[in-house]
Amino acid sequence: MNRSKDLDTIAPDDLIVESNPESTPIIEEKTETELIPEIKNEPVIESEPKSSPKTPKKIVFPKKIYDILGHTKSPFSSFLVHPKVLTFPERDIDEEIYLALRPHWFTNFKWMVLATIMLLIPFLFKYLSFLNILPINYQFEITLFWFLLTFLYTFEKFLSWYFNVFIVTSQRVVDIDFHNMLNKHFGEADLDMIQDVSSSVKGIFGTFLNFGDVLIQTASEINQINFEKVPNPEKVIRLLRELREETEVKIEGGKK
Amino acid sequence: MSPNFLTGDWLIYFLLIQKIFFILCSLFYFIFALIVVRQTLSMSKNIIDKFNPIIVIFSYIHLILAGFLILSTIAL
Repeated sequence: MNRSKDLDTIAPDDLIVESNPESTPIIEEKTETELIPEIKNEPVIESEPKSSPKTPKKIVFPKKIYDILGHTKSPFSSFLVHPKVLTFPERDIDEEIYLALRPHWFTNFKWMVLATIMLLIPFLFKYLSFLNILPINYQFEITLFWFLLTFLYTFEKFLSWYFNVFIVTSQRVVDIDFHNMLNKHFGEADLDMIQDVSSSVKGIFGTFLNFGDVLIQTASEINQINFEKVPNPEKVIRLLRELREETEVKIEGGKK
Repeated sequence: MSPNFLTGDWLIYFLLIQKIFFILCSLFYFIFALIVVRQTLSMSKNIIDKFNPIIVIFSYIHLILAGFLILSTIAL
């Protein structure tokens, strides 16, 4: 009696059935063309490419948002309405960016003036008597070091402004901060979590150039998000209120 | 001792100390330039904008200059 060699799959009490090669039905061997005639004759339909966060679905931007915010004329603006190039990795496929904000350009004025003064200081080195006693290559080294420090200061201040972004999307508000090269902060709150929105415009320049802080109280883990020194705070508030109302209507509609 | 103490051996010692100080400063500066590159790359991933490549290039130029600063300090 032949025993099965596959002891792992057969229990000791199972009957061992020997397979008779003559009793097994013979399957006719078919060629490749006979087996899949339908596939060969039908036209090939390409499957749609999978959408990624970088290529979101085309959504018609609501006119109402443009009515509130207006249009952005420059890509360097700190008030970017419906930016086409700016995005972030956490963005969902169907999530649309309504507004991207950076602190008002005037907030850069102070460090720009300081950087200009720093650039001019090496021209005063020749009037400093203690530097004149050093060899020329040491003087060159000090000058080079100073210019690099100036560049670093300017670059750091610019990056702190450039990567300090507040984003309002169709689903949430996002606050991305970058301070002093070493501190990063990412905060977000869903639109339905927004409880209260307020703004404050302070000082002569804030009033004159229309920039201020927008404070968002939320019911999420981060209980408040502060958009600092952003342009047109009243427009941001109107947008957030509008979006919050829309979200509430959607949620109530969903419950019914 | 002469009124101007930065003469002869004093000047040599002073320049030597200054050179060591410069080398240390430039090394710290280079480390900071590396941090700048690292942070710029990291933030470019967090916020995707069309000017990001330019900023990354600037950070690398800054790193190269910081490397040049070390070399020139050693060559003093």
